[in-house]
Amino acid sequence: MTLATGKVGVICCSGEDLPEGTISRVATRLVLEKLRPEETVTLCLPLFLAGGEDERAFARVFPTIAVDGCSKKCAEAGTRRFSGKPVATIVVSEVMKKYPKLKAKSREKLNSEEMGLAMRVAEEIAEKVDEVLCKTNK
Amino acid sequence: MQNEQVSLQSMRGDKVAIISCAGMDKALGSVARACAFKVVERLRPNETLLICIPPLVADVKPYSELIKKYPVILIDGCAERCATKIAAKNGAKLRGRVFIPQSVQKHGLKPNTASDIGPEGEELAEKIAEEIAVQIDKLLGK
Repeated sequence: MTLATGKVGVICCSGEDLPEGTISRVATRLVLEKLRPEETVTLCLPLFLAGGEDERAFARVFPTIAVDGCSKKCAEAGTRRFSGKPVATIVVSEVMKKYPKLKAKSREKLNSEEMGLAMRVAEEIAEKVDEVLCKTNK
Repeated sequence: MQNEQVSLQSMRGDKVAIISCAGMDKALGSVARACAFKVVERLRPNETLLICIPPLVADVKPYSELIKKYPVILIDGCAERCATKIAAKNGAKLRGRVFIPQSVQKHGLKPNTASDIGPEGEELAEKIAEEIAVQIDKLLGK
């Protein structure tokens, strides 16, 4: 891995247990590919947890944002345990409370409503990225 | 609540636990994940439990107990073999393993990207899921 300045690592839970885990994954990819492609990288949580030293080193040096599907907050806990506390944590189930009309049911493929939710989560991640980089650059 | 659902499910008879890599930055991780869902939601919904990797490392029950109680089939997306490493470290009863790069070679199908595995990726996931379903039947003596 090549370390670069001005980057934020986004670590999502990608959990298979709940639709919120899938939303965390899709939202993270939306940030990486569409909303903040130049400012973000993703760290693979399973690799991070399995002992990936490059991922852990990145998270020790650069700011990270954890994106968790549910209140277990596995991405946040894993990052804290192996590298350091993330600068922010976004919990999908909490974001969903702001949009009670939008429901998440599928774990495999998101429908248009669920994609809408993923985009809302992605926008919150992007806002945090901007905040973090703004602070870092001051 | 989800934990309770998993516990109740596991009481209903013989099961096989599936652990998939869910890797974020490779298309093969997305294929692994797609295979797991095809097996658990469509092909063998009553015979399988899908085990989420992150809670395993955090030792969240009942996940950490279920992988010791039931035979486990692993799906690794890349050479890092994270699913295998994490499952082995947590004492899983390993009984089967799928290595997606090998399946890519075997079936000659190449997934598109991590965000969209594309038609070949879908077909690949379907084929691997069917192979996993056969492994499950063997493990359960069906």
